[in-house]
Amino acid sequence: MTRRLKLIFAAGVALAAIAGGAGVAVAMQDASASLRATGQVGEQADGYMGVVGSAPAGVRAQVDAVNIKRRAFYTELAAKRGAKIEEVAATTACEIFATKVGSGQYYRGPDGTWRQREGSAPVPRPGYCG
Amino acid sequence: MTASIWMGRQRLKPLLAVTMAAILAGCVQLSAPEKPIEINLNINIRQEVVVRLQQDVKDLINKNPGVF
Repeated sequence: MTRRLKLIFAAGVALAAIAGGAGVAVAMQDASASLRATGQVGEQADGYMGVVGSAPAGVRAQVDAVNIKRRAFYTELAAKRGAKIEEVAATTACEIFATKVGSGQYYRGPDGTWRQREGSAPVPRPGYCG
Repeated sequence: MTASIWMGRQRLKPLLAVTMAAILAGCVQLSAPEKPIEINLNINIRQEVVVRLQQDVKDLINKNPGVF
């Protein structure tokens, strides 16, 4: 009886762990998209996310976590293609501006000003985007 | 007389060094908070590099939906 209970308990713990892990994975998968959707976070022309105005520490921590991962990807690709990290980052921003910034979401051009994308109007991209 | 002044200077030396260090540290601390506010795109982005990297960047974005 006690042994059976222990087994059930162990199975429960294992299930909870799996469910928890999946939850984290799902959260990770749309971290950047859901951050943009809050309106507290936007995309910058330098290839990183930024906080629009003042956001809670939790939001800023999530932004930092995303940016650390981006930096790692940029560094890797820059080394692979013999480009500067900043060039890889800026090229990525060109693509993000074109495809990831949704209506009502924020972006920040090279002039440093945060702007909101209005309706279906395309996000203006820096000249070097081509 | 001169000896005592000399001694005083000698004793002042470490104090001066500490003061200088404090002033310099103060300068560094003052400039630090201003940096993250600026958006760092002062570097020259070469368009031919952007064109060359475009496909790689598209792949990178598509493979990592949580990060981009």
